[in-house]
Amino acid sequence: MTGNFPLLLLVMGAAALLCRIAGFTLMRLVPVSPRLEAALRATPLAVMAAISALAVQAGGLAEGLALTAVVALTKVLGSDVAAAILGVGIVAGLRWAGL
Amino acid sequence: MGRALFTWNGFRRGAREGLPLAASIFAYGLGFGLVAAQAGFGVAKAMATSAAIYSGSAQLAAVNLLQTGEATLLALFATILVINARYLLFGAALQPWLWQAGPLRSYGSLLLLGDANWLLTMRRIAQGEEDRAYLAGTGAPIALGWLAGTALGAAAVSVLPRPEALGFDLMLPCFATAMVAAMARRGVDLVPVAVGAGAALGIAQLLGPAAAVIGAGLAGGAVAALMYRPPA
Repeated sequence: MTGNFPLLLLVMGAAALLCRIAGFTLMRLVPVSPRLEAALRATPLAVMAAISALAVQAGGLAEGLALTAVVALTKVLGSDVAAAILGVGIVAGLRWAGL
Repeated sequence: MGRALFTWNGFRRGAREGLPLAASIFAYGLGFGLVAAQAGFGVAKAMATSAAIYSGSAQLAAVNLLQTGEATLLALFATILVINARYLLFGAALQPWLWQAGPLRSYGSLLLLGDANWLLTMRRIAQGEEDRAYLAGTGAPIALGWLAGTALGAAAVSVLPRPEALGFDLMLPCFATAMVAAMARRGVDLVPVAVGAGAALGIAQLLGPAAAVIGAGLAGGAVAALMYRPPA
């Protein structure tokens, strides 16, 4: 480990802060057209789909089954939070069963 | 500026909805605390790192780099910049809504920005959320969970179950999947979903998972912009 921890912390914190505020600040300079708004609205859907797809790819059958169950549970229960928590329980159970 | 709704009520509503995610972030804080302790961080250093960077993947990469003994300040800076590049996109997507709360409240809220509460907040914005304090509200329990988990993990390394055994590593994907299922009501919403998933899998093969998430977001946004037709 490098000796000067406060300096390390400062540099690492600065990089993290830059990422948090730079995109936000740059957008202040861009006029928000309806087309850009449509793009920004679609972004979370694409990011969420990416997170799910990567989890299935990195995991396997248990993860794929659990996330499929989450889609069905969301439709049946009408609550995404309840469906997500049940999904965590399902994957824990499937892993425990050796899947 | 500073005239958009920003109330205690909105903050509380956000905090309530952030709570289930805070439980899984707590478990991941334990994981980071454990790794940090093994790398020679004490409780204080581990917590300072969690507070300053406040991003699990970036912190794990930074600790890994420090352990190699070849970490330069520039390498650390660049590593965190690359892994957290998706936050550029998150901030940009929040800007038209959040900025109406004024600079102090906007930038203050951004300090609590993470993957999970960005998703929660974008979902609520799509449903017409007006209270800008919602974002900070969702971030507060998650940040507390992260710090508490880090402290406990760094202090009590040997007695903890692995978060994977309890399924906590799949909490964020479960939430993401459930939110897609809840949000994608019209057929046209499935286009960014398909583009995002496809782009993520392709980019992950070539460049790894950090680039995959931001690439997926950009691809989904670009396709939506191309498909946009002004109302006649």
